[in-house]
Amino acid sequence: MSISEDRLRAILAWVVIVLVGGPVAAAVLLGVLKGESPCILCWAQRTSMTLIALVGLFVIRYGPRPRYLGMVILLGAWGTYMGIRHSALHLARDVGQGFSAPFLGIHTYVWAWFIHFTVLIVVGMLLLFLRRIAPEEGVREPGRAGRFALGLFVVVVAANALQAFASTGPPPFIGQGDPVRLSWNPRHWVWSFEELQPPRISLRGAWAIPAPDPAAADPDPAHGPLTGLPALRVTTWERIGVPLDGTLSGLAHDAATGRFLAVTDRYAVVLLDSTLSRVLHRVVLDPGFSVDLTRLAGAAFLGGDTLAVLSTNKSWALLVPDPAADERREWRHFLETDGQVREVGLGRFQTVRAHQMYVLSLAFDPSAREVVTVSVPNPRHRTLVVSRFARTDMVLSSEFVPRLGDGLALRAPDRSLAEYVVTGAAVADGRLYAVSAAYSTLLVIDPADRSVRAAYALPDVEDPVGLAVRGTDLLVAQADGRVAMVARPVS
Amino acid sequence: MEFLNFLLILWAAWLVWRRPERERLAFRLLIVSCVLMALLFLIGTHGSLVPGVNL
Repeated sequence: MSISEDRLRAILAWVVIVLVGGPVAAAVLLGVLKGESPCILCWAQRTSMTLIALVGLFVIRYGPRPRYLGMVILLGAWGTYMGIRHSALHLARDVGQGFSAPFLGIHTYVWAWFIHFTVLIVVGMLLLFLRRIAPEEGVREPGRAGRFALGLFVVVVAANALQAFASTGPPPFIGQGDPVRLSWNPRHWVWSFEELQPPRISLRGAWAIPAPDPAAADPDPAHGPLTGLPALRVTTWERIGVPLDGTLSGLAHDAATGRFLAVTDRYAVVLLDSTLSRVLHRVVLDPGFSVDLTRLAGAAFLGGDTLAVLSTNKSWALLVPDPAADERREWRHFLETDGQVREVGLGRFQTVRAHQMYVLSLAFDPSAREVVTVSVPNPRHRTLVVSRFARTDMVLSSEFVPRLGDGLALRAPDRSLAEYVVTGAAVADGRLYAVSAAYSTLLVIDPADRSVRAAYALPDVEDPVGLAVRGTDLLVAQADGRVAMVARPVS
Repeated sequence: MEFLNFLLILWAAWLVWRRPERERLAFRLLIVSCVLMALLFLIGTHGSLVPGVNL
């Protein structure tokens, strides 16, 4: 089967009629009848559909020249990209939270995606069956359908121009990201340049978040955002007495059994006895598959035998020591294992305030039965966020940005708690203790009134990576495997 | 600028319909309109080509 040029031009006339009389005209009607106003991205997609129809008119008038075919494929591809890019802003929102009114249950940005993709398919099909490409010269008579397509095109594009004038204004004004309803009353017209603000250009936009690097932080407490901090001196040093696979990146202590849980940057999870010198269990997690784990950054005992480990991307794994563990079944979870550990859970924490922020700490609050993380501020999101997750389902329970408590003062008005890089956390007696690698500082946070009740300089500590509570002491784990013991402040 | 772009498209369509011998100008208008459309879209995304997703 093949189609002649005349047949192709007749088909294209109807394609133009359907495209212009369908979505492009319907978009104007939605504005006139329902006050719908397109955003700047919608305008671009509507313009792209109009341009595809215009290329169709070129083919109707001059035949299927290669540059027309190239142009329509480019427009189809770019329009598909625009539809996906625009839809990505809204697809993952909660149910019913799509942008603007849906048409046949589907929002206009998804329609734009579908229509441009369909254009590519249709052009491909037509090219597949086209007998030959026309010579360059010559003007064709458009025929009855072609004339109707041309007339309809002019009318619909003129209507769009009219709507664009009311909705976006004359040049140099541009469309808006958050438009208001269409009105023909000039007093209600919004003509703006708001989309030019701020002029930040980035490939990834808000998602360009660098991985946290606590080792690069300034460790000097005297340079921190808080002034006049009392020093908390190390009373005793201990050391993890067994070789770890990788650099220590988190430590937890279990008050009930005296055991320690250590994690490393090479995905090793090591259960240690109370002296830190004997390995009770050891596994190396497989960081890929199902849920991807970035570098391990935190550890916690969740009561009973359950061990929790957390990676910087807020993915977590739950493990249980079990002498009867099925090694064949656990092979998929562990790169190495002593054969006596089971993985009982794997997932990702979903946050709101701490969205697009990495974490370097994990704690467990036994009284609330909640798991706690503290976000690491980054250049795009400069906030320190405490996130709490229900132990029962590991879903977010609450989040807060701690305020500065009484008696604490910032060194300067432009300083903030968001300068701290919390690398270890632990909960005891209703307080959240958080150690920061930046400015070697211990923060004592009251989750009840959501304030930093006290802060202490830790001048003896270098490169802290974890924090644990043992009775009246705090144990600050360093990346070099040493553990500093300081008296736990109660405030 | 969207208004201007539709005027460019109207102009090109008018040339194709009523002044078909001006094909070269009409096609150049088409190109300019495409570039303007793409530019406005990029302004709307603030230059963030990739949506907020993990690549």
